[in-house]
Amino acid sequence: MFYDEAMMNTYNMVKQRFIKKWINTLHMLDSSIEHPLNVTERKNAIRLSSDLAIAATRSGSTVWSRTLISRSGNKTTNLTTNKPMARRILKKARNRMKNRCSTLRRNGNFTAKVGVRKRTELLKSLVPGGELIDDKDYLIRETLDYIVYLRAQVDVMRTVAAVDLVTGNLTNDRTNK
Amino acid sequence: MSNRRSRQSSNASRISDDQMIDLVSKLRQFLPEIHERRRSDKVSASKVLQETCNYIRKLHREVDNLSDRLSQLLDSVDEDGPEAAVIRSLLM
Repeated sequence: MFYDEAMMNTYNMVKQRFIKKWINTLHMLDSSIEHPLNVTERKNAIRLSSDLAIAATRSGSTVWSRTLISRSGNKTTNLTTNKPMARRILKKARNRMKNRCSTLRRNGNFTAKVGVRKRTELLKSLVPGGELIDDKDYLIRETLDYIVYLRAQVDVMRTVAAVDLVTGNLTNDRTNK
Repeated sequence: MSNRRSRQSSNASRISDDQMIDLVSKLRQFLPEIHERRRSDKVSASKVLQETCNYIRKLHREVDNLSDRLSQLLDSVDEDGPEAAVIRSLLM
């Protein structure tokens, strides 16, 4: 999958860290929401804990991870812990972006650039917090970072979903591209 | 990232060739399907962005589907049954 062995090792580390965080966020959510859950509520809890966990795995200085944490904070109104902090984090990120980024300037040549601009806007909408980023270079870095972690999140979830609940082994049903 | 303040990109509304090459070479590890019609430094920015967006959307859908699947798997689990024990050991 990866050309670079060092990158593969880093990737595996990311997945391991993610698993640990996910266990924490699952427990955190589990103790704070009302049981019993219906399937939809459970799905939302799983999704939420997973997103929180992958963001926490990254922690650090990426806009996408702080946006995810802030968003997740808004969804868990029962959890009093991180909501105001998440808002402060996102506010800090926004201010940092404003100070750092050059503003988008209009380019005279529109023909080929319309496609790029349109797709750039689309990309911004897909990367959490992307709409906060004006600088193209920064956006690309955030995107690449986000893709790595998003992919790790998918890989781990896929593996967990593939565990045969009776035997505890992995089924062969792991590749659902 | 720290010297971003000094950098004023002169044409901020388009992605530079250097950035595209960088993005393409990294994305190729994930997206072998990116089709280069001409030399690598001429890969269409628009095309690469589109592939990237498609890929992210695909991953989002997968997370959603997997959350679905996991919740259904857990739904069918009897709390005191052996499957629950497996899950518990997984999560420990």
